[in-house]
Amino acid sequence: MSMNLKDKYAIVGIGYTEQGRVPNRTALSFYVEACANAIKDAGLKKEDIDGLICYRYFQPARGEREVTPYVTAQCLGLSPKYLSQEANCARSHLYHALGVLEAGLCSYVVIAYADNALSSQRLIDDIDPDKAVFGQIGYPAEYAMAAQRAMYTFRTGPETWKEIAVGQRKWANLNPKAYFHNRPLTYEDYYNSKWVVEPFRVPDCCLISDGGRAYVVTSVERARDLRRPPVVIMGIGQHNPSSYIDQSTWMAGPSGAKIAGEIAFKMAGITLDDIDACEIYDCFTYTVELTLQDYGFFRPGEGLDWFKDGTIAPGGRLPVNTSGGLLAEAYFMGMTPLTEAVMQLMGRCGDRQLGARTGTREPEIILCSDNGATFQTHCCTILRRF
Amino acid sequence: MTYRKPLPQPNADTKPFWDGCKQHQLRFQKCRDCQYVRWPPSIICPRCHSQDTEWIVASGRGRVYTFAVYHQAFHESFREDLPYITAIIELEEGPHLLSNIVGCNPREVKCDMPVEVVWEDITEEFTLPKFRIATQPDVNS
Repeated sequence: MSMNLKDKYAIVGIGYTEQGRVPNRTALSFYVEACANAIKDAGLKKEDIDGLICYRYFQPARGEREVTPYVTAQCLGLSPKYLSQEANCARSHLYHALGVLEAGLCSYVVIAYADNALSSQRLIDDIDPDKAVFGQIGYPAEYAMAAQRAMYTFRTGPETWKEIAVGQRKWANLNPKAYFHNRPLTYEDYYNSKWVVEPFRVPDCCLISDGGRAYVVTSVERARDLRRPPVVIMGIGQHNPSSYIDQSTWMAGPSGAKIAGEIAFKMAGITLDDIDACEIYDCFTYTVELTLQDYGFFRPGEGLDWFKDGTIAPGGRLPVNTSGGLLAEAYFMGMTPLTEAVMQLMGRCGDRQLGARTGTREPEIILCSDNGATFQTHCCTILRRF
Repeated sequence: MTYRKPLPQPNADTKPFWDGCKQHQLRFQKCRDCQYVRWPPSIICPRCHSQDTEWIVASGRGRVYTFAVYHQAFHESFREDLPYITAIIELEEGPHLLSNIVGCNPREVKCDMPVEVVWEDITEEFTLPKFRIATQPDVNS
């Protein structure tokens, strides 16, 4: 992607839905509600929306059909000039949106992710039969294996990860929409939690959530006339070191974050010192450590000292995952970190608002990440206040 | 007793591997042009894009690249095995293979530990390659 994308496009509205455990709702209903709320939040009319990108839905729940952007558009009464659906969520979706905006094919693009994974009944999707025969099912073990290799390669482990779990939980405790809003987590709680797949305990693993999230992207020029202060995309970079995770020799890093970060920082023309906060895709605690390490915030094994004493928590010198993140707010893939960064830069975060209210730096620039499969695909997005 | 766990689902790419397992042979594709031994099976060598491929029989010896210990069952049929170990084995010939480490306490397992294949005939049709801590001295150490 060319460097001239810097500061040209902005996120102008966010759509939330009820979230957490929300029974008796279809995934489609969350998609539709999140999109409608994002359009309204931006101060746009549905007729303005000419692009719609939805996540490629997992296996549908029993009695539901697969959600497609065609169906979502129909339920919203949209007739967009561009529809897209694929699995790489915030990583590729924003790239696609910037592409059709830059090409002049669209003016206002809505990007959405939703699911009813917590309350619906469905089979675990994405079972690889060659792995399932050995009982290797689901993502926790794949990331646990990466974390285990990291523990062998450099100084890391539960002592480091507890700082991430506890720090993010403190943010969730300030966020009324967070699943763990009313449930604090101490170091002792962390160590007393059950193993899921060792070396991960329950608080190392992300939530499963019902609900949806959507946002609207347009040009900075169009954004000037809208309801909200736009949040400007300064830099974006993606890297996909595609290989089957079991063939990986880089479980202890560097992941795709390294090159994706370099591309994004180069486009933005800034350095790590300019970052006021990070919203990092946190499917597991170790993912946060490796991502920040690969971006260069600390060297391999220095995470333990770097995270210590509440670095990422309210009052800390580099806040991370200020909504509680995927570990403690809600799981909406890369949308959870990205939309939280936008809300913070718009100054709409209430008790968890970065700045004087939480004893942190006033947010001018926030770094976001999205990561997929098992460290096989990564996107870094740098956003700034208008 | 009926085998309740998921069974292999061989496809056109993986059938030679599972056929090998049935004969207690660990078979992998090797590129005839660049000698790269690959897994999973593919029509093309990811290193050099050659399609000139042969199947070789691996020694069954390797090391633990990494592992994880399941304390929760993500599929009902594995509940009786908890806690069980899944591991990525770095075989002598190069490829990494996902499997189980059996016959030991999870606390004994370490990265880079030498292991060797053991065969588990699970049904008339299928055999799984699993690994145990090596009883033979590791030739590479």
